[in-house]
Amino acid sequence: MRVPRHIGSSAPCAFWFLVIAICGLGSGCSTHAKRIALPRSLFYEGQIEQCRAELEKLQKSHRHDRDVANLDLAIVDLVDGRNRQSEMRLKEVRERFDYLEQTSVTEQTVSMWTDDSARSYAGEDYEKILLRVYLALASLMGDGVDAESYTLQIQEKHDAILSRLGQEQEPAVEAGEDVDEGASVSDGTPLPATVPLPPSPVAVAPTESKAPYRGIPIGFYLRGMLREQTHQNYDDALRSYRIASELIPDSMPLRWDIERVQNSVHSNPGHGVVYVFAMVGRGPYKVEVAELPTSDALLIADRIVSAVGKYSVPPTIAPIKVPAVMVPPSEIDSVFVTVDGQRIGPTTSIADIGLLAEATFLASRNTIVARAVARRVIKKATVVTAKSSMGSNQWTSLGMDVAGVAWEATEAADTRCWGLLPRDIQVLRVETPTGTRSIRLHPSLMGQNLGAGQAIDVPVYDGRNTYVLAWFPDAHGNCKVQCSESLPSSSPVTLRLGAGN
Amino acid sequence: MLRRDWLSALSCGSLIVWVGCRGHQYGHLLSTKDENLVGSHTAGAEVFDPLVDESIAKLLARQQEPNEECPIGPDGYPVKKSVCFVGVENKMAEDIGDFKDQLYEQIDSNILESNSFRPISRRMVEAALYETRLRPDSLMIPDNMRLFTSVLQRDGAPIDYLLFAKLTSGTTKRNTSTQRDYLLTLDMVNLHSGEYDKQSAEIRKGYHKTAMGSIWNYNPLKR
Repeated sequence: MRVPRHIGSSAPCAFWFLVIAICGLGSGCSTHAKRIALPRSLFYEGQIEQCRAELEKLQKSHRHDRDVANLDLAIVDLVDGRNRQSEMRLKEVRERFDYLEQTSVTEQTVSMWTDDSARSYAGEDYEKILLRVYLALASLMGDGVDAESYTLQIQEKHDAILSRLGQEQEPAVEAGEDVDEGASVSDGTPLPATVPLPPSPVAVAPTESKAPYRGIPIGFYLRGMLREQTHQNYDDALRSYRIASELIPDSMPLRWDIERVQNSVHSNPGHGVVYVFAMVGRGPYKVEVAELPTSDALLIADRIVSAVGKYSVPPTIAPIKVPAVMVPPSEIDSVFVTVDGQRIGPTTSIADIGLLAEATFLASRNTIVARAVARRVIKKATVVTAKSSMGSNQWTSLGMDVAGVAWEATEAADTRCWGLLPRDIQVLRVETPTGTRSIRLHPSLMGQNLGAGQAIDVPVYDGRNTYVLAWFPDAHGNCKVQCSESLPSSSPVTLRLGAGN
Repeated sequence: MLRRDWLSALSCGSLIVWVGCRGHQYGHLLSTKDENLVGSHTAGAEVFDPLVDESIAKLLARQQEPNEECPIGPDGYPVKKSVCFVGVENKMAEDIGDFKDQLYEQIDSNILESNSFRPISRRMVEAALYETRLRPDSLMIPDNMRLFTSVLQRDGAPIDYLLFAKLTSGTTKRNTSTQRDYLLTLDMVNLHSGEYDKQSAEIRKGYHKTAMGSIWNYNPLKR
């Protein structure tokens, strides 16, 4: 291409201003929050097929929403019992998020002239951990072959996040240390697995800590659960349960777990264990809000600059838009479990996603607002530079101010997030004699059962774990309950069990 | 605007785009000559591999010494001792993650390769632990040991020895530097006589916040 030797100075500036403004306008006002509203409501109404169709449509139509839509589709698949499909989707997003963790200067630069939705979404830290948690759960609901690897990946990612945040690593838990005296059993007899549990303890709010991310107990809990099932690696299980217990110090069931792996065994002969994982409530999502105090301050600033400067600056009429996390109120606080008509107890929190989302957002909010302000300043500077280069008259200047305001008004907050997560992941461990057991789950609020609940027949194997995955978004909505397929093929005792049963 | 300005602007733009793009991940195969990576925060292959090699070599060397009690087979060679390797216990300050199973396999394979021992299959050991619902750390209780050995004997795997492996660590801190001593101990107990043999290997490792930390803390003048 032949480049002319000399180009007029005002023409290229005007050209670039036009190009950037068109790019900005192209970013559009629609947010992910608006686009996900319909699939989200369909999901909670129990219209799984329609929800899947809408999400697939969104995945194809919006390139930047592809990964979060894939995450939501993975949840839809898991609810629908398509464990393999769900696992594949989650693995795909895991690879993408790992790739997107690298900074792209190009994207960051482009986002300064458009908005934050121009940047690829690499997931919040808690989402990266939960992604692997759901991978483990999807695997456990299927053949369970990769479940242990996923739990190792949870730990690896946890360490990587802490390392990136530059936090002081928690001191490693010394195996063999005494646990809380209140939970100890002096004679070393196994603690009953069917002790009625107190109402769900609330996890310690991560906001109490300076750090936005401290760890998510469920990852360590899953690791401990799988290591305990080997009947051999109780030391690993103890280590994992202790870390989980440090993250939820008030959790009595975790203390029982610690006590069991210290002094007892996985299960008594002729017994197996059922783990009920309950997805309770509707999870957090992001919405777009106007950052009015910052917008007002910027308006005053640009009026001052316009008054003293040679050229006017486009006024901050369009408010600065930033995301905010919404956690819908929950109609239930736990799920009450009954086995063969015997009341066992409620599930207890092992990952309070609502709190995690709020804490993570609070930690990053200042950065988001600062970026939005910097973006406005860059846009205003671009308009002023264009005016200066073109030597514009009053009417041209006014026209460019109007274009500048329109350009600023097209900004949309980045509201992308994993939208179909539950508010809380809860768990209950039940040791029960082998055979087929009828398990009934009731949504519960403050110890009161709401609705008829849902029953499922669960096969219990000698010395092994069986997993029940339950979805209770609200008290009277569409709950879904499913049980793990069969004895995991990775089981070290499969052959013996096969012969014995 | 001059053409030179355009070309320099274009070059700068291209450079920013090239530098600013995300890279891909690549892998490569290591040859046997390549040294292990040295873990910056925790122990890895650079610690565990030599620990296993050394402790196993010491244990086998001692067990292969001529012994009056060792029965001689019809071929004139000592009869191989049947060993049940119970497992690796991690008592370190660090989590060893996926190394635990690998350590088990390494130790088990080394024992199998020796001519002194006949190890019991790991799957049989796991199945016996599962069936008896015994904890590995409770096998030395006489009743538990009898129950465990009887199950293995019933399944056609009588045992002469129990082998336990234990990883421990000791940590010394000096300002921002840390020294951690890793110890792998192999405990072998003769089920018939109650005698035991113990061999261990140790590796010390330093962790520092700066590259000069090792020189600063470990030089002959620093005492």
